[in-house]
Amino acid sequence: MMEKMSEENIEDVRVLEAQIEHLQAEVAALQRQQQDNHKDITFHLRGHMQDAMSYVCGQKQAGEKEKVLSKLTEEVEELEEDLKRQTQMNGISLNSCTTKTLQSSGRQLVQQLCVSGHCSELVFQVEFQLSEVKKGQRSERTISDLNVVMDTSDLQNFSSFLSGVEESRDLLLFFRTLRTFSDRCDDRRRTFQHFQEKYPSVVSLPGGCRSAVMTLNHPELPGCVLFVHWSVEVSREGRVTPKIELLTKIPEKALQLFPSQAVSGAAEAFQSLLRILGPEAAVESVIMAVSLSQDT
Amino acid sequence: MVTQTPPKSKKNPQLVLDIFIWEATQNKEKDLRSMDGASTKGVLSHLSLLEVQARSRKTQPRQPSRVKELKAKAEALMTQRDQLKAEIETHKSLQKLRASMDKQCTHEEEEEEEEEEEEEEEEEEEEMAEDSENSQLLRLMARHTQLKDLLHAHDIIGGYNVIKTRKGKGLCVSLTTAYNGVYLENYNLEMDLKPTLRISRDNIPPFIPLKSLAEQSNMETDIRTLLDPLSQHLNAFAGRKQQLKLVKELHKSVQVMESNALCSLLVLMFTVPREKTAVLCSLEYTDHTRCLPTRVHFECEDKGLPDSPEWKKNGSLLMETPVHKALITMKKMGDIV
Repeated sequence: MMEKMSEENIEDVRVLEAQIEHLQAEVAALQRQQQDNHKDITFHLRGHMQDAMSYVCGQKQAGEKEKVLSKLTEEVEELEEDLKRQTQMNGISLNSCTTKTLQSSGRQLVQQLCVSGHCSELVFQVEFQLSEVKKGQRSERTISDLNVVMDTSDLQNFSSFLSGVEESRDLLLFFRTLRTFSDRCDDRRRTFQHFQEKYPSVVSLPGGCRSAVMTLNHPELPGCVLFVHWSVEVSREGRVTPKIELLTKIPEKALQLFPSQAVSGAAEAFQSLLRILGPEAAVESVIMAVSLSQDT
Repeated sequence: MVTQTPPKSKKNPQLVLDIFIWEATQNKEKDLRSMDGASTKGVLSHLSLLEVQARSRKTQPRQPSRVKELKAKAEALMTQRDQLKAEIETHKSLQKLRASMDKQCTHEEEEEEEEEEEEEEEEEEEEMAEDSENSQLLRLMARHTQLKDLLHAHDIIGGYNVIKTRKGKGLCVSLTTAYNGVYLENYNLEMDLKPTLRISRDNIPPFIPLKSLAEQSNMETDIRTLLDPLSQHLNAFAGRKQQLKLVKELHKSVQVMESNALCSLLVLMFTVPREKTAVLCSLEYTDHTRCLPTRVHFECEDKGLPDSPEWKKNGSLLMETPVHKALITMKKMGDIV
């Protein structure tokens, strides 16, 4: 009987040892997979996120769910507030940012980022590679492979700047310029809308309030039209310059009636007016003149 | 013959043996064969029984605990395996959730995607309904990763990273500079919000006109009227500084004669090949919001050189191209060493 018992035990031991070897191999494979997962920075979880992960993976205790949920909700709400603040302060609204970790070692991290969003009405999508290399205490960040996508059908003057910025990888310059350009376009839109509301009979916006052209004409003189052409130009360097010009469309007959420079020289005169009064006041004086109003 | 008392038997195998030996020595004159057959057999079988008992005591006590030990180890490994599997599955779910959230956000403005969105949402909801206990938590986790990524993006694209400090009484602003894809210095402003917005501390270099920019701005109503021009100045300065660094690194044949802290003035000395004449080139950057010079001037012993077509071209080149890049072209054209 004694010998039978020892035989069984030896058999059990052998079976268990085999099972353990198999399990160890499984665990090693799973650990390798997990290490790969951890290389993705986005899903590198810490703090309350790690607690939440532990909960979901089965380390459940009584009352744990509410605690984990409330802590995480609090943190998410703080992050939402933070995002709202950054959006407002930076004047840029981001819809999405996806990151792909291409390389992650102790000293170097290379990621591919795709960021999309809009600045006022201007929609963009930016893709680039970001490398972070640790050099002593500091880390050096560099951008490479910058690709910018924007609907430039309305933005002829923007496209030369865009290709320049992709070449020079000046990501920050792109966003600074985008914002300034957007601000200047908003200035124009506000001014145009303001004048259209104030002088509806004289002012019209044939291309809409976001276009570059505002036309002025007196309803009783349909043949004589003045165009305020307000373009926002962007140099290759990223300098944003609003340029306002006055163009006239006066029939020959009318010009013959007024040989003085007052009508034909209107464009130049407007430039002087611009320099003295600034854009809004200069445009308003022209409007007043066209509307033949008695006010100064 | 010495008679000794037989050792007391305590059912100890060794002791039994001793008794046997003692008995044997006591009876050594007797013929062992004449010993009682039954008693010999009894002792021998008793001995073998004790021997087996002794042997089994060595191995049997370990065997049950060895099995227990292995069983415990196997269970621990199974738990570890299940835990890892759960983490990896959860990770997959999170990635999927996050991907669908990203898609929804990117296509918020496109109408054609609405149908797809709804279908996807329904699919997701079906899957989630199976695991509805955790779906709320998983959605929250996916949103957490999304928010972190968006905040990181704001930082990377040069955002001002505005943080409220001192329980809402203060503000901390960070200004990032970069040039040609290389992130350079970070500058910081600390501001008081009350009674009025004003700058309390900063690490902006003194040659940047922070005070006048603040005075010209409308910062109390819109802080960007200060931050945008300030960022422009700082980035232009960082760009000029970086260009100077690159000139020193990449163009050892060009001598830097003069430069200033603001990097608004740069005097370089070129050597013309063949004749080996020296050309002194002054670059003035009077617009401090730009990385390109506003004036380029050449001086040379050969008075005609600056007016030559090649050097007129070089003058325009230096006005339109960052200096370290312009020098590469000039070298290629053979104008300088």
